Amino acid sequence: MIKTVDLIKTFAGRGQTIHAVDGVTTHIKAGEVVVVIGPSGSGKSTYLRCLNGLEELTSGHIHIDGVDLADRKTDLNKVRREVGMVFQQFNLFPHKTVLQNLVLAQTVVRRRKKSEAEQKARALLKKVGIPEKEMEYPIRLSGGQQQRVAIARALAMDPKVMLFDEPTSALDPEMVGEVLEVMKQLAREGMTMVVVTHEMGFAREVADRVIFMDHGKLVEEGTPEHFFTNPREERAKLFLKQVL
Amino acid sequence: MLDSYRKDWHWRLLTILILVSIVIGLWVSTSKVNYTWRWNRVPQYFVYHNETIERVPYDSRVLSIDEANNITTVTVKNQFDELETYQVDTDTLRVFVDEDLFSGDQIGSTFQWQAGPLLHGLGVTLWISAVSSIIGLAIGLFTGLCRLSRNLTLRQLSILYIEIIRGTPLLVQIFIVYFFFGTVLNIDRMAAGIAALSIFAGAYVAEIIRAGIQSIPKGQMEAARSLGMNTPQAMIHIILPQAFKRTLPPLAGQFISLIKDSSLVSVIAITDLTKAGREVITSTFATFEIWFVVAFLYLTLTSILSQVIAWVERRFAVSD
Repeated sequence: MIKTVDLIKTFAGRGQTIHAVDGVTTHIKAGEVVVVIGPSGSGKSTYLRCLNGLEELTSGHIHIDGVDLADRKTDLNKVRREVGMVFQQFNLFPHKTVLQNLVLAQTVVRRRKKSEAEQKARALLKKVGIPEKEMEYPIRLSGGQQQRVAIARALAMDPKVMLFDEPTSALDPEMVGEVLEVMKQLAREGMTMVVVTHEMGFAREVADRVIFMDHGKLVEEGTPEHFFTNPREERAKLFLKQVL
Repeated sequence: MLDSYRKDWHWRLLTILILVSIVIGLWVSTSKVNYTWRWNRVPQYFVYHNETIERVPYDSRVLSIDEANNITTVTVKNQFDELETYQVDTDTLRVFVDEDLFSGDQIGSTFQWQAGPLLHGLGVTLWISAVSSIIGLAIGLFTGLCRLSRNLTLRQLSILYIEIIRGTPLLVQIFIVYFFFGTVLNIDRMAAGIAALSIFAGAYVAEIIRAGIQSIPKGQMEAARSLGMNTPQAMIHIILPQAFKRTLPPLAGQFISLIKDSSLVSVIAITDLTKAGREVITSTFATFEIWFVVAFLYLTLTSILSQVIAWVERRFAVSD
């Protein structure tokens, strides 16, 4: 489903180049839930943002469903339709109601009829548990509700893959649960998911595979049982000691 | 509301006292320069009762006079035995039935309210400001987007335009547009005036739009792109609506400035409010009165505009 080969992303800043992602090679299969963890600044968010072309690759390849993002001829907008993304800061459109947030891209990008798009939007709002808020503006919702709307908005495009960039990091603790519940439900339905998170409980419970990154490098990957109980690398052991 | 009135009534009183003393001071000093105020001359330059005198073109004889609703219909038979009818206001009627009239005799007259030069000037000012605002907004939007474009040429050209316009006085720009471009491209003074004001406003609007777009969090663009929208779609549906809301107050300020700056086009002999005022002064010598009236009219225009903008802002505030 997603194949990354020797992915490198560098940022040039103040006379030095920072290797945010430094030679990551991995293969995410359809229906797999992959959780990316690592200390801050380890490049996991940048890696995720590369996966839907929000960051331009410096070198290497990303194949999504056989389409190479590094190829200049690739229409990134077409790829992004198939890759849903959920942001740490929700990034809902504040000037549109919840329903309009879900309908807009469907009508503009997928060219669906308005009635059809609204029907789909209402079904998704029901699925994430806030059908009664469709006429509200995002600012009137709690953080947890906003993030659930953001998930519904991404799902409205019928993506093949969902990317989550620290979806619960900006939430009050009591709202983390409701968002994780929606994500677990998605995972159970067989959605291919790549999740950057600090929620170790979620990783242990839902992930098919855990990827541990540090300094832009993929340090260790494996099943959650293996990673949380018996990691090979020293760096991973140190990290787990600090967070668990 | 009532509480705040009770609490600072003495400050309100002080404001009124200061204003009253300024007015008294002005009144005393003008009475010393021996100026006769003639406010009664002003209204006729807004609207006046225009008298149209009806005369018979040929020797005629009055056949009948019918009166209805203060309008009298006079039917006459002229020297060629043709019937003619005239309508005049009843109290101006000068003829009676069977009277013989000679060519050029007056039957009566009609009165009509007509707009005076000040009202005409106000109309011209309003028209010039409105048209220049719309064109200026279009130029500004386009230039503002060019300013943020990834294309270096577009960026450089827009910066050059903005710097030239913001770095030179409007009065000079009006002269250049009128005398240089007006001659070279053969455009009339009205078009030249509107063009100069639009180009001037466009440069300022461009900077306002640029700042507005840049003030929208990066996440909005990323969210739009992650849903598969291309850049124009994201701009139209996501960025510009939000930017427009934020730029409304500075844009309003710019357009209010434009109404005031439009007074400068009077130098190329466009009869706007300012020039109309000058013309009225040459025939009345009521210099003080007319300039106060002209200032008041500009103030009225700008206050109405800011009220309208405030209303639009409240409408947009629903998503805050």
